[in-house]
Amino acid sequence: MSNSSDSKSLVGTRWVELGLGLFTLLIGVVVMFGSVEQGIGWGDAGPEPGYFPFYIGLLLGSASLANAVLTLIRWKPLSVSFVSRTEFKQVLSVFIPIALFVCAMPLTGIYVASAAFIAWFMWRDKVRAKPYGKLMIGAVSLGAVTASFLIFDLWFKVPLDAGPMGDWIAMAGRSLK
Amino acid sequence: MSEFDSLLQGMNLILTPGHIGLMVIGVLLGILVGVLPGLGAPNGVALLLPLTFTMSPVSAIILLSCMYWGALFGGSITSILFNIPGEPSSVATTFDGYPMARDGRAAEALTAAFSSALIGALAGVLLLTFLSTRIAEFAMTFSSPEFFAVYLLAFCTFIGMSKNPPLKTVVAMMIGFAMAAVGMDTVSGNLRLTFDQPMLMTGISFEVAVIGLFGIGEILCTVEEGLVFRGEHARITPMVILRTWAKLPRYWFTIVRSTVVGCWMGVTPGGPTAASFMSYSIARRFSKNRDNFGKGELEGVIAPETADHAAGTSALLPMLTLGIPGSATAAVMLGGLMIWGLHPGPTLFVEQHDFVWGLIASMYLGNVVSLLVVLATVPLFASILRIPFSIIAPIIIMICAIGAYSVHNSMFDVVLMLGFGALGYLFKKLGYPIAPLVLAAVLGDKAEDAFRQSMLFSDGQLGIFWSNPLVGSLTTAALLMLFWPLISGGIRTVFGWRNRHSAKPKTL
Repeated sequence: MSNSSDSKSLVGTRWVELGLGLFTLLIGVVVMFGSVEQGIGWGDAGPEPGYFPFYIGLLLGSASLANAVLTLIRWKPLSVSFVSRTEFKQVLSVFIPIALFVCAMPLTGIYVASAAFIAWFMWRDKVRAKPYGKLMIGAVSLGAVTASFLIFDLWFKVPLDAGPMGDWIAMAGRSLK
Repeated sequence: MSEFDSLLQGMNLILTPGHIGLMVIGVLLGILVGVLPGLGAPNGVALLLPLTFTMSPVSAIILLSCMYWGALFGGSITSILFNIPGEPSSVATTFDGYPMARDGRAAEALTAAFSSALIGALAGVLLLTFLSTRIAEFAMTFSSPEFFAVYLLAFCTFIGMSKNPPLKTVVAMMIGFAMAAVGMDTVSGNLRLTFDQPMLMTGISFEVAVIGLFGIGEILCTVEEGLVFRGEHARITPMVILRTWAKLPRYWFTIVRSTVVGCWMGVTPGGPTAASFMSYSIARRFSKNRDNFGKGELEGVIAPETADHAAGTSALLPMLTLGIPGSATAAVMLGGLMIWGLHPGPTLFVEQHDFVWGLIASMYLGNVVSLLVVLATVPLFASILRIPFSIIAPIIIMICAIGAYSVHNSMFDVVLMLGFGALGYLFKKLGYPIAPLVLAAVLGDKAEDAFRQSMLFSDGQLGIFWSNPLVGSLTTAALLMLFWPLISGGIRTVFGWRNRHSAKPKTL
C-alpha cells in the first residue's frame, strides 16, 4: 500500500469497473443465447431446458448493464487509481508465472511443472539479503512434490497426471519386473 | 427418540481413535489454512474434498467440519499476532487484538479469543442440537414451491443485507447460477450452454471456482499490497490461560449478546464475517470502556470472536435441515454432501440419522479439541508465517492447482481456476462479493428443480408462490429482504424528517 503514492496510476477504477460490467454483460448475453438454443418456452413436459437459465442470463445482463451505466454516471468520482504501475507489475510478476505453470502442466505433468515452478519462484527472490542456496531450493521443491505424491497418489488414491516423465518411470518399473 | 438419546448415539459413533485422530488432523489442517494467506476455510475444504471420496461420509464430514473450526481459530492467530486477518471473518479481531499484542498482551488476547470462540461455537451447536430436528420435521411438509421460496429468501437476504452494492451482488449470484446451469440438464438430460465444447460437458465445478476465486485471487491481492509480516511473539503459559479465564466472567453480557448476534447471522445467510463486525460495533457502542476500543480492549476481542464462531457453527443448521448453507464454507460442505450421495434437507434427518448425529456430536468434541490444539500450537503456526513469501506462495499455488485438477482429473479445470483467480482479484478490488457466487453455484440446480416443479404444478402461473399462507409469507419475506435497502432508506427518511423537526426547536 505504501508505494501507491509514489508511483503513477496505470488505469482508473472507472475503466476496470466499465470493462468488468461489459464482460459480465457478455456472459449474460451468451447465457441467454445458449438458452434460446435449447428452447425457453413451454414444451410437452412443462418448461423447456432453457426456461430457467434464460432468466438467469437476463438478470445477469440487466444487472451488468445497470452497473456499467452507474459507472458512466459516476465517471468523475471513479477516476481514482485502480492499481499503480509498481503494484500491477508485482501482480503480473506472480500471475504470468502461474499462467506459464498452468500451461506447462499438460506437457510435463504436474510434478515436473510444480517442482520447476517452486524452484524458479525461490531462485527469483535472490535480491533478498540472504539468497536461497541451491541445496535449499532443491530440497523445498522436491520435498513439496514428493509430499503431494505421497498424499494424493499413494494415501488417498487420487492419481495426478505425471506427464511423459511419469509414463517413462512407470514403463521402466514394469520392464524391471 | 429425543435429541439427547440421538446425541449420545452420535457420541458413541464418533468416540473411536480413528475419528478423534481425524479430528486432530482436520483441526491442524484448518489452523494451517486459516493462518496461511491465500488459503482459507472455503477453499481449504474445497481442496480437501477430493480426498474424502474414498472415506465414509461420517469420517469425511468430521474431517471437513473440524477443518472449518480449525480455520476459524487459525484466523484469529494471524489477526492478533500479525494484524493480518487470515480469514475475512477475523478482520474485526484485528481492531483490538493487534494493539493488545503490541502491548505485550498477545497471550492474553489469544487465550481470550480462543476461549470466547469456544463458548460461541458451543452455543451454536446447542442451537443445532435442539432446533434442527424440529425444523427438519417442519420442513418435511414442504413441497417444491415452499423449497423454492426458502431458496429465494436466502438469495434475497444476501442481496438486501450485503454490505456490497446490491447490483454487484446480483451479478455475482447470477454468474454462480449460470455456472450451475452449464452441462447436463437434470430434468431433460439435454446438454445446456456447452456450445458443443466437450470440456464443458461435465459442467463447471464449484470447487474449481472456490479454489480460483478465494485462493489465486487472494494471492494476487496479497502480492499487490506488498505483504510484509511483522509479527509479535507469543508464548501461552498455563498461568496466562488461568488469569485470562478468571477475567472472562466479567464480560458475560458481551458474550451472551455476541452469541445471539452470531447465531442469528449464522442461521440467516449473513455469515460469520457480518456477524463479527456487527457484534464488534454493538460492543463498542454499549461498552463502559468505549474509549479504549481500538487501543487494546479485551472486550473488543471477545465480542467479534464469540459471534464469529457462533455464526460459523449455526450456519450448519439451515444447511442440514433445509439444504441452504449459511456461509461460503457451509456451501462447499453442502456440495460435498451431494457428491457423497447424500441429500441435504429435511429427509437427511430420517434417512441418515447416524450421519447427522455423528456430525453434531463431533461438533461438540471438535471444538474442544480445536481449543486444546490451538493453545498448544500457537508458536508453531506463528513461525510458519515467518517463512518467506517466496517459499510459501508457490507451494500454495501448487496445492491450489493440484486441488483444481483432482476434482475431475482434468487440466481444463486448472485453466478455469486461473481464470477464476483473475476474476477473484477484480471482484475483490471492485467490491463484488464472492460468497453469493459460490452459494448459487452449489444450489443452482436444486433451486432450478424446485422452480420448474412448481411451474409444472401451476401450469406456469407465478401465483403458486402465494397459494398457501406458508409459501406466501416466505415469498413475501423474500421480497421484503430484497428491497430492504430501499425500505429501510424510506423508513429512515420518514423518521429522519420527523427527528429533524423535533430537534429544530431545541437548537433554536
